[in-house]
Amino acid sequence: MGLFKPEIGLVFWMLVAFLIILFILAKYAWPVIIQSIEQRAEFIDKGVRYTREAQQRLEEVDQKVQEILAEAHQKQLLSLQETERMKKEMVEKAKQEAAGEVKKMLEEAKISVERMKRDAEGQLKQQVSRLSLEIAEKVLRKDLAQDTAQMELVGKMLEELETKS
Amino acid sequence: MKWMKFLLGISLFWGTVCGVKAEETTEPAFEPRKTIFEHLGDEYGWNMGRWHLPLPVIVTDAAGQWHVFSSARLLEQQEYEGFFIASEGEYEGKVVCRDASGALYRPWDFSITKNVLALFICVLVLCWLVFPLKTWYKKKPYEAPRKVRGIMEYGISMLYQDLIVPVLGKDARRFAPYLLTLFFFILVMNLLGLIVIFPGGANLAGNLAITFVLALCTFVVVNFSGRKAYWKDIFWPDVPTWLKCPVPMMPVIELFGVFTKPMALMIRLFANMLGGHLITLVLISLIFIFAAMGPVVTGGATVVAVFFAVFMGCIDLLICFIQAYVFMLLSAIFISLARPEEEQESKKLSE
Repeated sequence: MGLFKPEIGLVFWMLVAFLIILFILAKYAWPVIIQSIEQRAEFIDKGVRYTREAQQRLEEVDQKVQEILAEAHQKQLLSLQETERMKKEMVEKAKQEAAGEVKKMLEEAKISVERMKRDAEGQLKQQVSRLSLEIAEKVLRKDLAQDTAQMELVGKMLEELETKS
Repeated sequence: MKWMKFLLGISLFWGTVCGVKAEETTEPAFEPRKTIFEHLGDEYGWNMGRWHLPLPVIVTDAAGQWHVFSSARLLEQQEYEGFFIASEGEYEGKVVCRDASGALYRPWDFSITKNVLALFICVLVLCWLVFPLKTWYKKKPYEAPRKVRGIMEYGISMLYQDLIVPVLGKDARRFAPYLLTLFFFILVMNLLGLIVIFPGGANLAGNLAITFVLALCTFVVVNFSGRKAYWKDIFWPDVPTWLKCPVPMMPVIELFGVFTKPMALMIRLFANMLGGHLITLVLISLIFIFAAMGPVVTGGATVVAVFFAVFMGCIDLLICFIQAYVFMLLSAIFISLARPEEEQESKKLSE
């Protein structure tokens, strides 16, 4: 049967066609294609690796930021407490100071009032003794040639009055 | 469903009409054997029904004179410059010539036949498949190609990274061009063979001449790239001396193996592709064989035959790929067997 007998012409043309296409492709196409595929695969691998590293770093940084934030928050809290405490302290101190001042002023005021009272009393006493003297002088003008003993008497009596009151 | 029923009805009707026609006309009886082998074989010019694509016939006569003429001149038993196509005998369907004594002889025939033209189409298709990918890489080295280029890239990287590199290791770069060309050439041949109309339809890989050349190439590549250890294994294998010294039994067997490996490749591809075409042709021929038995039988036979032919076509599609793959895989393995690792060899010796 013809089918099982290789035809010399076909063998020849097949050899020619196959060798030509083999030569062309092996020289101009396959090396470039294979190299490109490998290069791209490498490129992609590198990209993936790089991305993974970047992600890891990002995570680390993120964690650090979180830590820093937490720390800052803590510090803020602490300082807030501190301020609160200081404020309270200051207020307390101010209050105390104010209270001391008030007390001192009050005392001073008391003292001055006392003094003024005494002054007033003294003046009043003098006034009263003078007035009573004058009254008594007017009443006893004639009798009082020597009035020092009388004056003493009136003064004594006024003294008594004062101590009584 | 509706249109399927419609289609079925049409085909049945068509079948009966054809059957009736076949009965009425007195055409020569259908010879399945002849038709099938005509389709499987080669021919001068490309016949498709009534249409004939003339191709150049290139022959040399006994005197060594070259003759080039169109195959149209040989149509219908015509004779041109003493050459004609034999209708029977040893050279049936081939261009023959009569020598001075009147005896038939076969001249040297380098005609561009149907198969040769299909071969050239194959080469062009292969270039069309591969070169756009190359230009793509030249232009945009880091972008993924799309469409046909994408398919090609997928195929190439699958073959190269999953098969050639694991099998050949360091030598992958060196032998990949040959193996990839082999694979895609066979694949394109097979797939074009499945297409019934013009650019395809030639039974290329189911022709012994084609597979012979492919096997020859693998044979040459394997034996020319064989290392010292490979040849030592053939002529002085590691067996008891009495098996190889007085009577070289093992060397003969090994030497025989060198030739049977590519032979097996050749026969496998040939038989598989021939088988696929043969089954489809036989199934379609059934319709014409049953045409003599009346309209109903013909209609039924048509439906069944077409169904099975489509089914076989699907399987053939798979076989086309598998055979190309197997041919390449085995070539790669033979090459790797011929190139054992030098380091391992020296290690073995030192142990």
